[in-house]
Amino acid sequence: MAKNVLLVDDSSTMRKIISRSLRQAGLDFGEIYEAGDGLEALALLESESVDIVLSDINMPNMNGIEFLREKANRPAIKDIPVFMISTETGDDIIGEAKSLGAIGALKKPFTPEKVNEVLGPLI
Amino acid sequence: MPTFALGDLLLEVEQFLVDATLEVFASMIPLDIAPEPAGCDAPAVEPDISSLIGLAGDLKGVLAVHCPASVALGVTSAMCGGMEVTAMDEDVKDALGEIANMVAGGLKISLAGQDKKIELSIATTCIGKSIRTGGLAGATRAAVVFATPAGRFRLELRYILA
Repeated sequence: MAKNVLLVDDSSTMRKIISRSLRQAGLDFGEIYEAGDGLEALALLESESVDIVLSDINMPNMNGIEFLREKANRPAIKDIPVFMISTETGDDIIGEAKSLGAIGALKKPFTPEKVNEVLGPLI
Repeated sequence: MPTFALGDLLLEVEQFLVDATLEVFASMIPLDIAPEPAGCDAPAVEPDISSLIGLAGDLKGVLAVHCPASVALGVTSAMCGGMEVTAMDEDVKDALGEIANMVAGGLKISLAGQDKKIELSIATTCIGKSIRTGGLAGATRAAVVFATPAGRFRLELRYILA
């Protein structure tokens, strides 16, 4: 069954690009939900049926690391997988994200081919 | 991924800015761009919009993307899949901020490979004529101008090595 995806990025342009890349990569997904920061993402996860989260790290209000930490404390949503898509892909920050439950990371900028390669097996 | 060696400094930094910007456009922005030779006689880029990222840590400074309106609108349209963009609005500010963010992110990763750690601010984008960066006494300025079908834009890094 096609999976519902939540895109979390403070840039509406980047959300459009990721959404377009998912389509260009030929991935079979269901609904695409969008959130502008971690706080909005938590609210959406509580109210919608989301199968996987693609999240930026560097965001205002609640960044991607804080989002992972808060999500881990909410039993109803803590098991929804999160994949990081960010310019911040250094070992330290990605290591921290993975320690908080992130299942992988993709560096911006990316191509649709890279999206397919990395996210295809997950979506 | 573009890299540069701190020991080689200005020319290497400028080449890094070229490589990182070309990578951003080749990956995510379907628009032809070409770097202009350093020191060329072409007229200066007079921006209508500028996006700035602050850098702190082992390299302090500001990375800026300066664009005339025609380029900003064209780049935003290309980033948004050909969507018609006719006004200098939040979408345009957002798109320019993302370009600055991705180039700065590449710089952070490249420096990390040389055991240099920097932190990046969230992009600040200002609409206005001829915004310039300053206030960094003793900073080195690296700048590259790119040509696009809609005009030219400038990428600039003012930095001080800690």
